[in-house]
Amino acid sequence: MTERERFIKALKREPIEGHCPTFELVFYLTLEAIGKIHPSQQRFDQWSQMSRTEQDLHIAYMADSYIEIAEKYHHSAIFVHPNPGDFENTLRLLACIREKTGDKYFLMMHGDCTFEIPNGENMFAFSERMYDDEEGLKKEAQRRLEDKLRYAEKMAKHAGLLDGFALCSDYCFNVNPFFSPAMFETFITPYLSALCKGYRDTGFYTIKHTDGNIMPILDQMVQCRPDALHSLDPQGGVDLAAVKKMYGDRVALCGNVNCGLLQTGTEEEVVADVRRCLHDGMDGWGFVFCTSNCAYTGLPLERYELMNKIWWEEGIYG
Amino acid sequence: MSILLEISENVQKGAMKAVKELVNKAVADGVSPNEILNDGLIAGMNIIGEKFKTNEVYVPEVLVAARAMNAGVQIIKPLLTDENAQAKGKVCIGTVQGDMHDIGKNLVKMMMEGKGLEVVDLGTDVAPEAFVQAAVENGCRVICCSALLTTTMDVMEKVVEAAKKAGVREQVKIMVGGAPVTEEFRLAIGADCYAADAASAADAAVMLCECE
Repeated sequence: MTERERFIKALKREPIEGHCPTFELVFYLTLEAIGKIHPSQQRFDQWSQMSRTEQDLHIAYMADSYIEIAEKYHHSAIFVHPNPGDFENTLRLLACIREKTGDKYFLMMHGDCTFEIPNGENMFAFSERMYDDEEGLKKEAQRRLEDKLRYAEKMAKHAGLLDGFALCSDYCFNVNPFFSPAMFETFITPYLSALCKGYRDTGFYTIKHTDGNIMPILDQMVQCRPDALHSLDPQGGVDLAAVKKMYGDRVALCGNVNCGLLQTGTEEEVVADVRRCLHDGMDGWGFVFCTSNCAYTGLPLERYELMNKIWWEEGIYG
Repeated sequence: MSILLEISENVQKGAMKAVKELVNKAVADGVSPNEILNDGLIAGMNIIGEKFKTNEVYVPEVLVAARAMNAGVQIIKPLLTDENAQAKGKVCIGTVQGDMHDIGKNLVKMMMEGKGLEVVDLGTDVAPEAFVQAAVENGCRVICCSALLTTTMDVMEKVVEAAKKAGVREQVKIMVGGAPVTEEFRLAIGADCYAADAASAADAAVMLCECE
């Protein structure tokens, strides 16, 4: 069974043997880990001026960096961040990874259309719109949804390249969601639900990510039927065992390793947290082991490797 | 229901138009601007702040309540005497060097303004020395440092050191907050106050200013 097949089984909450699958939304520490610059840290100001050969070399370099990280840390899935991100170059990068690895890995890309927590500059204006321009905001949400579904239909015509979309609009702070449950029901749920259905109908899996305390809106998120929920942020008070108990029969779960402890905790605390996560997550099926965010810039690599080592030694079914 | 209570309730609902109408009516009826401010507008905002602390209301609800309060304040501002119009204190706030996140910082600023404090907003990516310089130049009683990242929170300790180095550590209080920050961290770096959320930060800042 390939890593891709194992990952899909986890998303479907089906039994698998061997290791519980693992991946990261982003693994920024490529330079330290494999000596390659992460694709998102590269700039191509003169891309269109390059010869096709030079472009191919850059694409192969980016593909290699994704593949080498996946191989080094036994990831089952690769989250591709195409750079440049236009459709043609996205296809070229996906095709290059497939040429080099076949169907070994589950490939995913960004694909959310729903509103996220606005940045500090726009937060006030966005909040005002929720009160003063409900219909206008709903129309905007619908337009964004239709754009994403059109993209998925286009991508679906290139069968065998992409497996799924990660929906990464953040909804929650550590203390609470930005949106009240009522606001979420009005401005997010209908569109998230339609997005998951649309992707499902075109043959793509969905992993819904958000940081923070999701508990007040968790039921609505599950009702939208993503294949998996990602992050399950312990810094936002999310209890993996409790979520598993409540929703484990309806959605797969990914994440929950405490990034705060990875950064500033003692080694003993990290080890204990990783073991807790494996214990709670692997109880039953439908779990993908990973950090509760990503391997972000500034995270000590040795901490990620410690977490990965424990998973490799202990994250085994049966 | 008294008109002040009505103003308070409409601030809590974020009903800006109603707040404007009620404040105009209260002024026309001869209610003192000071009463309108403290017992109507700020009273409503204080209730929202308390509910936010206990997770009963969400950020957008706080923001529209603040909008409604400010709309009322604009009407009575020209009528307030100098004494009444005086801020409860002055603080400066910023997100620490290396960190560009401003959501929490802006929320704290808004809650502090809702409490009647004058807030000097230094923005994001603020160097330790810049916090201290701003506090000295503007006569701020409190320096408020925000960080979202575990990789930037250590800059807060440098703010404490910069205040010592500038010889103003005894004159200013240093408050810290943000997702990764804890009371233990506050103690470890020698800051004066940790606030777990925006409403608590505003309460604490008022207290620190009043202790002057």
